[in-house]
Amino acid sequence: MTLDLFTQLLVNGLATGMVYVLIASGLILVLGVARIFNFAHGEFYMLGAFATFALCQVLKVHFFISILLATLVVSLFAAICYRLVFHHIRGNLLLCAAASIGLSMMFERGALVGFGTQERGLPSAFSGVITLGNVAMPLEKIAVILLCLAIMLGLYYLLMKTKLGKAMRAVKLDTEVAALQGINTMRVYAFAMVIGCALAGLAGGIIAPLFSITPGMGHAMLLKCFMVLIVGGLESMLGGVVGGLVIGMTLSFGYYFLGGLSEILLFSIIGVILVFKPGGLFGEVVEDV
Amino acid sequence: MKLNLKEITLSIVLGIIILTLPLIIKSPYQMHLIIMLCINIVLGLSFAMLFSTGLITIGAAAFWAIGAYGSALLVMNLGLSFWLALPLASIITGIIALVLGSIIVRAPGVAFVVQTMVINMIVGQALGQIEFLGGWGGILGIPRPNPIGSIKFVSKTHYYYLILFLLLLTVAVSYALYSSRTGRAWRSIRLNPRLAQTLGINLFRYRLLAFIIASMSAGLVGSFYAHYFGTIEPGTFSVFKSIYIQIYSILGGLNFYLIGPIIGALIMTLVPEFLRVGKEIEPILTGGILIMLVIFLPGGILSLPERTRSFTAGLLSRREREESLH
Repeated sequence: MTLDLFTQLLVNGLATGMVYVLIASGLILVLGVARIFNFAHGEFYMLGAFATFALCQVLKVHFFISILLATLVVSLFAAICYRLVFHHIRGNLLLCAAASIGLSMMFERGALVGFGTQERGLPSAFSGVITLGNVAMPLEKIAVILLCLAIMLGLYYLLMKTKLGKAMRAVKLDTEVAALQGINTMRVYAFAMVIGCALAGLAGGIIAPLFSITPGMGHAMLLKCFMVLIVGGLESMLGGVVGGLVIGMTLSFGYYFLGGLSEILLFSIIGVILVFKPGGLFGEVVEDV
Repeated sequence: MKLNLKEITLSIVLGIIILTLPLIIKSPYQMHLIIMLCINIVLGLSFAMLFSTGLITIGAAAFWAIGAYGSALLVMNLGLSFWLALPLASIITGIIALVLGSIIVRAPGVAFVVQTMVINMIVGQALGQIEFLGGWGGILGIPRPNPIGSIKFVSKTHYYYLILFLLLLTVAVSYALYSSRTGRAWRSIRLNPRLAQTLGINLFRYRLLAFIIASMSAGLVGSFYAHYFGTIEPGTFSVFKSIYIQIYSILGGLNFYLIGPIIGALIMTLVPEFLRVGKEIEPILTGGILIMLVIFLPGGILSLPERTRSFTAGLLSRREREESLH
């Protein structure tokens, strides 16, 4: 294996892995704070990609501005969904899961009816390669990695340093005690839902030039995110980061060396991890559901 | 169980309707829907059985797939009769459930949800990737069940009576279990695992038993499905199928282990058909109805009589409603 090939696979794995990290951390935030197992999370990602595409291609807005606007649109959608649906059944994991499946059905078909089945793509905002020594790396992948890194740092700042972040962590630890301390838990739930879905929307915007945009892309991504959660654990953000990178790397290197069998291998590794650490690498076993 | 006259008449009328359904419904397509409904009900019952012990599974479709593929391979490669392959497929599913279950049942809660989901993903991938199992294209041309006497399994009516028998078998076994010591142990585990344990109930064994029986019933209808449909492909048995199965129980009412999945499957299978008039926006309507039901009837459809009763009596104070959400 040459150094060139290795770097290619590494950069590919990092880029897809970072996108998984972004979407999965949104899923973890929504699950951990608002107690919603959001099966519609992939749909918000799809929505972000479509909104970016529409703004960038149809309205001719600059790529970065369209990502930001698309994220706003997705956040707005998430807020509406939260207020209309999840607010009434908050705290009940199973009911929220069922409702989110309903939402996912509506969104996916809505996109299918609205945009049709054909695959779409955006022209890349960055073209060209970076050459380091005799190793070439595509610039757009590097841009994706850096963008995702910046967003994750922003999320870290939000969760660790701001008042809202502290409130979220408190609610995640113990909702009732947090409420006793004067935290408006319902507001925190809503913010967690909005921020989590906005992360999915952002990821959708970022990958718009890389992958083809179809109404079914949400489902496929949701399955990958489940895997990330399974590897890293359902509760921990750090687990999400590690899980996302592990899955991204395994798929990138695995597909090259093993082809389709790599997914079976991946699942088997996950199975073995679960036997010894039932809550995932960074999670704990929670008794009650 | 005491039955009053009204209930006896109701069940007799229902029984006659169910038995004579093929005489009423002539269209093969509608018969097909009814057969699929029966399959869905059995799958929903298998979810409900695990839920009665406090475990939530997103892996029912995996065991359905194991039953279907097991039966198809037994008949096509070993030349067994369908009538032998049907129970064998169920037993094979049970053995696989025993092996997997003894690993995963130890970790309840969210971990169990996730592990069953992984099993479902592995099974789906393995079926697609391994050539021996048919690959992504699936297995084609699975033979019909062998004829018994003059019954040749050509029309949908014959299949209907077969699946009805399997459904009633599942219901009967579930009913017997729920009303026995085992069922009481399951319910006590769901109510409070720690307390149940202090009363001498072996959590692991009872949960494993529920897991095996639930998987066997899924495997049984899996075998039927393979021979009824004639073709099976990995896409049918995806995680999303398992996710839909849990909706049946949630919609019907999680506290009704037998009737809940039946009502829920009835709604989730037939409502999309009635909404066919909406053509391509049918899933949007179905999703909307699902959300409405979840919001306005959080206890499931079967909680409706109780809710109206307490509502008219003015007993449902806001506090109680908050509590009933949890």
